[in-house]
Order: sequence, then structure tokens, then C-alpha cells
Amino acid sequence: TGGHTTEILRLLSRLSESYSPRHYILADSDEMSEAKIRSFEQKRAETFSNSQFTLDRIPRSREVRQSWSSSVVTTLYSMLYSLPLTYKLKPDLILCNGPGTCVPVCISALLLGLLGIKRAIIVYVESICRVETLSLSGKILYYFSDYFIVQWPGLKEKYPKSVYLGRIV
Amino acid sequence: FRFKDSLAQDLRRADLVISHAGAGSCLETLEEGKPLIVVINEKLMDNHQLELAKQLHRDGHVLCCNCSTLVETLRSMDLSTLKPFPPGQPEKFALFLDKVVGFQ
Repeated sequence: TGGHTTEILRLLSRLSESYSPRHYILADSDEMSEAKIRSFEQKRAETFSNSQFTLDRIPRSREVRQSWSSSVVTTLYSMLYSLPLTYKLKPDLILCNGPGTCVPVCISALLLGLLGIKRAIIVYVESICRVETLSLSGKILYYFSDYFIVQWPGLKEKYPKSVYLGRIV
Repeated sequence: FRFKDSLAQDLRRADLVISHAGAGSCLETLEEGKPLIVVINEKLMDNHQLELAKQLHRDGHVLCCNCSTLVETLRSMDLSTLKPFPPGQPEKFALFLDKVVGFQ
């Protein structure tokens, strides 16, 4: 969604073309992100001739401020979509930065890893808006990601297993 | 105006920006190098949404006030005290990720 998309596209902006093809997963209710992504990929295709990407949607797993208990239900529902999608894509690397959408995708990837089907590296970058506290997705994925990146030193202190590279968006 | 797709044009022409504490607004403004006054309305906003505005204020990048102190802030402000906001460095992320996945 919105700010998350802008941030993740900035994170992608300096990646080499070895990170290809790129598979974007969006929430079904997200309208603006698709345009931003297509614009980004179009510019990229002007520089790198073999640039490839796909775009898929899954049901939004959590509304802002939705209660914890109902979020579990909606996340499980989203997993009915994210699990087959992740199985189809079999990603080597998952990059996410906090929208609720990333939780079902990452859980699906973890399951596929546990079942020995495909082991993906999960890299989570917490939003630059998070200075003192983690988002709900962050609190969950801090324990399940391979690399958890924060953008402010205060968070690095609170979450010692995280990686601090300074501001990267 | 009500809602526009992008405020980028207006932002570039502005000499001073007065905004709510939304992260997108703050960052977009600072990246354009415009002086920014953030108006904080604690009743409307989540605590976490204020985190960034507070940090930017602590680091000297923005002026802060609330609705009732806005006029006073505009009268007494010294924009030269605001520090420039350096851009983020996604290249550091790229370097890190290359190491992680083994593209050296």
C-alpha cells in the first residue's frame, strides 16, 4: 500500500539486474501501488533490456487498526491465496517492508521451506516511519525473517538481532 | 483543493510548507529541500505516526507546533535554524543484499 510501495521501490532502485524476475504481490484493495510499480518497471526496462516482472494480488490480510483476533482470521484467509502463489513462484528471496500483505506471504514461504519444497531468504526492512516501535508485521517477522533491517539506531538497540544500515530509502 | 494525485509541483514552487505529521508529507517536503512546519494533533493521530515527526524535530529538520500555537510559531520562526535533510542511501541496501545472497 501507498507509502510502503514507495519505500520498497526505492529499496529496489539500486539493485542490479541479477535480482530478476521480480514478482510483486499486492493487496487486492490497493489501487495506487500498481501504477507506481509499472512506472518503476517501465523506467527499468529502458536501462536493462531483459527486465522482467510479474504482479499478483491476494486479499488484504489486515485493515489499519483491525483487532488482533480478527486479523488472525483474515490473515489465514489471505494464506489460501498466498500459499499456492508462493508455491507457484518459488522465490529465492523475499523482500518486504511491513504492509499486512507480507505476513501471509512470508508464512507461506516458511511453510514451503519446512516442507522442503523451497527455501527462500526472507529480508524484512522496517519502514522509515518506525523510529521507536516496530509495526505489527515487524514484531512478527523479527523472529521469522533471515535479515531484519531497521532504519533508526533506537530500534537497533531495542532489537539487537536487527541490522542497521542507516536510512536506506 | 481537495485531493490531487501529486503535490510535487506545488511543493517545488513553495517557500514554506505547513503540514500534518504524516510521514509521506514530511519526507516528500524535506527531500525537496523546503522548510517545514509540522502541526501535531495528538487527538487525531496514532502514537506511532508521530514517531517520525518527533525524530525529525529532535534532529532539527522541522519545526513543530500544534493547532493553537501555529500562528505564534509563524510569527517567531527562524527557518535558518533548520538543518538540511540528507537523502537516504539505497545503495547501502544493495551492497548488503548482494553480500547476503552471494552476488559479490
